[in-house]
Amino acid sequence: MATPANPHDRSRANGEPLIRTVDLTRHFRLGGMFSKQVLHAVDDFNIAVDEREIVALVGESGSGKSTVARLLARIYRPTGGEIYYRGRPLRSLRSRKDVLAYRGEVAIVLQDPFSAFNPVHRVSHGVMRNIALHRSDLSRAERHTEAERVFDSVGLSPKMLNRFPYEMSGGERQRVGFAQALAVRPNLILADEPVSMLDVSIRAGVLNMMGNLRDEEGVSLLYITHDLASARYVADRIVVMYAGHLVEEGPTETVLSDPKHPYTQLLLSAVADPRDKEEDISADTGEPPRVINPSEGCRFRWRCPCAIEKCAQITPHLKPIGPTLVACHVATGDTAAVPDPAGTAPVTNR
Amino acid sequence: MATDAASNVAIAERPPDTEERAEPRRLVRAVLGNRKAVVGAVILLVMVFVAVFPGLIAPHDPQATVGPPNASPSSAYLLGTTQLGQDVLSQLIWSTRLTLWVTLVVSVIATFISMIIGVTAAYIGGVTDRVLTVLIDVFLIIPVLPLLILLSAYLAPGTTSLIIVLTITSWAFQARQLRSQGLSVRNRDFLVAARARGERPMYIILVEIVPTMTSLLAASFLALAVFEVGFAASLQFLGLGNASQLMWGTMLYNAQQAAALESGNAWWALAPGLAVALMGAGFALVNYAFDEIGNPALRPVRRRRRGRPST
Amino acid sequence: MADPLLEVTDLSIEYLTDRADVHAVDRVSFTVDPGEFLGIVGESGCGKSTLLFGAAQLLSPPGAVAGGTVIFRGHDMVRINRNELQHMRWRDYSVVMQSAMNALNPMKSIGAQFKDTLQAHGTASRAEIEQRSAEVLSLVGIDAAHLDSYPHQLSGGMRQRAMIAMALLFTPQLVMMDEPTSALDVVAQRSLMSKIKDLQRSLGFAVIFVTHDMSVVSRYSDRVIVMYAGQIAEAAPTDAIFERPQHPYTRGLMDAFPSIRGPRRTLAGIPGSPPDLARPPSGCRFHPRCPDVMPQCVSRAPELYNVGDASVRCLLYAEPAKEAV
Repeated sequence: MATPANPHDRSRANGEPLIRTVDLTRHFRLGGMFSKQVLHAVDDFNIAVDEREIVALVGESGSGKSTVARLLARIYRPTGGEIYYRGRPLRSLRSRKDVLAYRGEVAIVLQDPFSAFNPVHRVSHGVMRNIALHRSDLSRAERHTEAERVFDSVGLSPKMLNRFPYEMSGGERQRVGFAQALAVRPNLILADEPVSMLDVSIRAGVLNMMGNLRDEEGVSLLYITHDLASARYVADRIVVMYAGHLVEEGPTETVLSDPKHPYTQLLLSAVADPRDKEEDISADTGEPPRVINPSEGCRFRWRCPCAIEKCAQITPHLKPIGPTLVACHVATGDTAAVPDPAGTAPVTNR
Repeated sequence: MATDAASNVAIAERPPDTEERAEPRRLVRAVLGNRKAVVGAVILLVMVFVAVFPGLIAPHDPQATVGPPNASPSSAYLLGTTQLGQDVLSQLIWSTRLTLWVTLVVSVIATFISMIIGVTAAYIGGVTDRVLTVLIDVFLIIPVLPLLILLSAYLAPGTTSLIIVLTITSWAFQARQLRSQGLSVRNRDFLVAARARGERPMYIILVEIVPTMTSLLAASFLALAVFEVGFAASLQFLGLGNASQLMWGTMLYNAQQAAALESGNAWWALAPGLAVALMGAGFALVNYAFDEIGNPALRPVRRRRRGRPST
Repeated sequence: MADPLLEVTDLSIEYLTDRADVHAVDRVSFTVDPGEFLGIVGESGCGKSTLLFGAAQLLSPPGAVAGGTVIFRGHDMVRINRNELQHMRWRDYSVVMQSAMNALNPMKSIGAQFKDTLQAHGTASRAEIEQRSAEVLSLVGIDAAHLDSYPHQLSGGMRQRAMIAMALLFTPQLVMMDEPTSALDVVAQRSLMSKIKDLQRSLGFAVIFVTHDMSVVSRYSDRVIVMYAGQIAEAAPTDAIFERPQHPYTRGLMDAFPSIRGPRRTLAGIPGSPPDLARPPSGCRFHPRCPDVMPQCVSRAPELYNVGDASVRCLLYAEPAKEAV
């Protein structure tokens, strides 16, 4: 499977990023055993996260962002493509020991603080299990100290270790989720919409904590969210997904101040500041599609104000425009008409 | 699992998960707060007492001939006597122990088997699930009586055989339900989290899933117990037990052999039957409380009467 | 100056649970004028949804109105009898719920549900039903062909629009909405809000819009009520709330939004969490979390005080002369 040169290579001056994916793909078969309907949750997804970096993965529902997190956490296996952690492909992790070692370096925090905890166990359960599984070298006393330490580093009193989940608020539980992840001493935390279900006044605390984790503990985060504003607040880089594809990525300020992809522009126009009284610039009423048995071409074309013929024929690839990468024929000026759409079309993404 | 935009809602007005605690304290309170369950619990406690201390209550040795045969109830023999002149009441009392023991043992083992098989099928899924489901179905479909007759030809009549036979034929009953419950919790976030941190499947089943099902398991157990009491008695009545053992079912058998209803002491036949019904009722009544724990919609709405400024 | 459409006075709502009585709404008063767009904003547990349900007479046990009045067009909604209520329901006011998938019957087509509603409240002939159903669907921007569709065949945004169409079947004077856009993505949310505002302007109905997301109401509402712990913390015209928030809680909320365009600065948020309404804090309910707390806040419960065109429940503004009527 020939792939174009990974667009991220040029930005890695000092070697391999912490984690990167190459054409990561995940499909789900819908319906029963004999169904032909295949949901393309993620297609040809290329992302990289460096050390000590927060990358925001932004998208609406159905964009595939949660699926990416679960793929990186090895909850799902990829249907295609590969994930490289510190240069080593995940496919090469065969033994339980290897897989466990990976899980000790990449941890996931889930979205819903109300269902992420087993109601019959105290909140210390997850933390202690993580320590037992991934840091078995510690003695009993050391394990307890470690549990207290991670609670402290997320701003929770160690006394809360003995509480049951129902005795804690949503914000507190979400912090416990981060504590659980920290207990394995990960290099990367995959945070799947960690603040979406929290009240606004509590989000700031959790977002600030995430920034501290990067600065003080040296942990990288992949922050998955639908909220551009919070992405701007914590992230160093933003990656935008639409319908399973990566459409734009780049440094936070650049992407948000000068978005190149029409979808990013649409998203920005729909986000309101409470104090902002400008008029809308878009009348788009559509919602992201569920991608079932898709054809070639850009998946945004039906809603795109500047779609051209080429958009229906060739799926755009990520190309650089300044410091950002954009997957759009029009934005990258790649509008040359395709000479023979049926026959000798240029290299596609398969 | 694609993100569901509905989960973007900050959960407004959502109370803490008081429903999900499986604390023993809450269970006891639920039972005590429910009138039906209290009645059932009393019945069962009395039976347990009788089972443990039969000698304190029974007026006579159950096996000894103490009076005239087939006597009707009188002040000396409250339920009359058997064909051999034994006191029916004493037999009834002494039979409680073995009857209760068999019922409990079978219910515990069968519930355990159905839980392991049901939850494993649900959690592991795939081929394992299909194989186990077929297994469950096979055991559900097996016609019980022919199987029993077959087995009784090979097994020596007695308590152990009874337990074996009852367990084999009743574990599948609840397995389907427990499998459904397992399927419904399979994708809960805390199980995803357990998988993500690298737990082994058996650990997840035993430590993460089963403890959340305690109410359901208790209800399962009780429902099974109701069934077993009657079933065991029926089997013994048909002659598949050991007639010399003291159980209500064997009393029924012996009474039937002696044609007690037609020509002898009718109470010799009626009393054990009523006792079986009573024990079954005890289990069933306690089960009401667990139904209500498991399904809050069944709970009676508690309203306090207070003086109100309006309405 | 027309009479207010809805007058809620000292409304209190309680939930009686086995553990304790929860005072979900505590003596809330507000009015809604004809054609006005009122936003009720607050975080989880503040009582805003309960308030809406109470005003719409949709409470079910263990929740019940414990005091106060709700006067809609001269009728006392709390004491009204069932027949009168049934007559007013949907004709004079209607309700749009948070999640269409929970409110729409998945077994019936949209058209069938419209028909049920129309027939339940009066319209007889088939032709009238068809015509009106198609009319309301086109009002919200859905093709009339979808009358035959089932809810699961429509996208989330379309389902919410269908809910709004259903609420408009009798062109009521008041439409109460409980977070109708929360389950939608950001683009669909924006477009639905826009549509709601358009409809409001053209049909002239009043809207009570309950939400946890202040930004959603900032462009469209005339007035905003901020609720905290079952009470009104601040009530003011929209501009005033956003440009000159008076209550420390409102200020904290405004500061908790990361900005998409302005300069980046550290967010503070509001420490702590909302109180347990079975045992609310003494004095001012916000005092444990308030950055401007004063000694008297612990013991003295503030009333609503006038500050310019706003009413604010905060002792910072308490002077006898300023007490709101």
